[in-house]
Amino acid sequence: MSDSHRVFVSDGVRGGRGFSRGVRRAVFSLAEVLFARETGAPPADRLLWLVDDLDDFFAHAGMRSWAVFLACLTTIELVAPLMIWRLCRFSNLSMADRFNSLRRFEESSLGLAFFGAKAALCIVWYEHPEAAREVGFDALSLSEPA
Amino acid sequence: MRHAWRDGAFTAAVGLGDSPTINVTMGRCVGGSSVLTGGVCFRIPGAVLHEWQRDLGLEEYSEEGLEPYVSHVERTIHVEEVPVAMRSRSTSLFVEGAEQLGVPMKPIRRNTKNCNGCGRCNFGCPHGAKMSVDLSYLPRAVTGGASVWSHALVERVMTRNGRAVGVVGRILNRDGAAPGDLLEVRARRVVIAAGGWHTPLILQRSGLGHPRWVGRQMTLHPGFRVLGRFARPVRGWVGALQSAYTDAFERERITLMGLFVPPGVLGATMPGVGAEHVAAASHIDHLAMFGGIIHDSGGGSVYRGPGREPVVTYRMAPEDRAKIPRVIALLAETFFAAGAEEVFIPVLGMRGLDADAFRQMDFSRVPASRIECASQHPLGSARMGCSRENSVVDPEGRVWGVQDLYIADGSVLPTSLGVNPQLSIMTVATRIAWRMRDRHLPPID
Repeated sequence: MSDSHRVFVSDGVRGGRGFSRGVRRAVFSLAEVLFARETGAPPADRLLWLVDDLDDFFAHAGMRSWAVFLACLTTIELVAPLMIWRLCRFSNLSMADRFNSLRRFEESSLGLAFFGAKAALCIVWYEHPEAAREVGFDALSLSEPA
Repeated sequence: MRHAWRDGAFTAAVGLGDSPTINVTMGRCVGGSSVLTGGVCFRIPGAVLHEWQRDLGLEEYSEEGLEPYVSHVERTIHVEEVPVAMRSRSTSLFVEGAEQLGVPMKPIRRNTKNCNGCGRCNFGCPHGAKMSVDLSYLPRAVTGGASVWSHALVERVMTRNGRAVGVVGRILNRDGAAPGDLLEVRARRVVIAAGGWHTPLILQRSGLGHPRWVGRQMTLHPGFRVLGRFARPVRGWVGALQSAYTDAFERERITLMGLFVPPGVLGATMPGVGAEHVAAASHIDHLAMFGGIIHDSGGGSVYRGPGREPVVTYRMAPEDRAKIPRVIALLAETFFAAGAEEVFIPVLGMRGLDADAFRQMDFSRVPASRIECASQHPLGSARMGCSRENSVVDPEGRVWGVQDLYIADGSVLPTSLGVNPQLSIMTVATRIAWRMRDRHLPPID
């Protein structure tokens, strides 16, 4: 059968769900640490692209996945600082403190919350052609026979 | 992923007690999950059929009895063996390790035609080579006069005088109708095929089926992956996504199966934060992956949730929980035998382990809340049986106590299979459909 049998039906969603400023800030500050290299945080334009595309991701994926992600993000925002005995929001921490708190949070019994947020960020982050190249994903297989 | 996977692949069965929370992925597109599978096709294992006959009285569900149906399905969806030449390097490395350990590996059969091994099966075949339902059965149905409505949510079955007479739901998105508009379809027969999660939900909303069994005893085939990092590049995404398996451990109710996932998902499984995470992720072209599933004994429950989706829980049986370390060890040792420098096991935040570190680890002490677990096979939530006291549908797929209401999907399979269920579901559905066809159609109400 040919591809002509496939008919694309739009799910009716246009653009993003419209992350609030607080959510954008929380996502940005999490991604800034998660994808940091030895030389420092990734370029701001890449992070902003990630925030926008994540917004689009959840607009299409639906309310339930958005609620799960928001729960994970909120848990990180409120609980991760406690891992280094700080009583504030995660996004208000310095980069070094965010790094330390996340490392401990990942290995704690609440690690699943971090994994949920990390999975969403990674799925979108590594879709970017530059990120895919950086990890060696050449994608040649999309057009060439194995 | 955001378009075709239900909940963007964030669907989960919440683990209860000493059970991991299980990520359950399903399709949300015309063609359903068949669009997103690796195309793996297994007949219902003989031992499973024997169990159904012996324990559930499903006498006609024998290998001989199902032969006409399974043969027909295999022809329709073009089931063929994956040639060795199409194996990914990821799978070939695992097979090499298995040979070193004396574990026999077997080729997988898939429903493909002119597959070029591009490894994109999980996102819908870009070449139309996977004979998923949207390319195999639906065009035939449309040619025969069927009308396919996407973006239409069925909420409940309408009944009158003990007979199913249609369904009621809502339009989610369609030209000429507003989202939320009422959808009502009247029919002389109603067939529910909404899958292991949503079929019981429709029954529950309709107040149909035995409440003791609707949405209960769901099996999932809890699955665990292990990644092996090799010194030389693997590029595991080149080649057939799934091409080899072994049933050598079926006596332990464990099946090992080749698979691979896209770089974003691989990246998410790389432990750590910042430079450590980025460094680990930069080696994903050196990673090979293999998975293992447990032929589980049930423990899943589907409940009505606040929205349109169900709330699903899973309480893993102790004997199944005890198998998790064994699955991980089988996979990891095979990769070490193949020359892996380190393995990444499915424990949240766990760094790569070399052979010595892995063998020193006491995996049985890892709490379930830190175990990463996935499933693609929800089955048995509207199980088939010979008595209304222990099942939801009879051997013909008819819901007990309601005339002209059938179920024809994975939810009727009464136990897990230990292998991917796509072909098995289609076989049972075909049997139900052919038997239905042979019955007199009731008059219009």
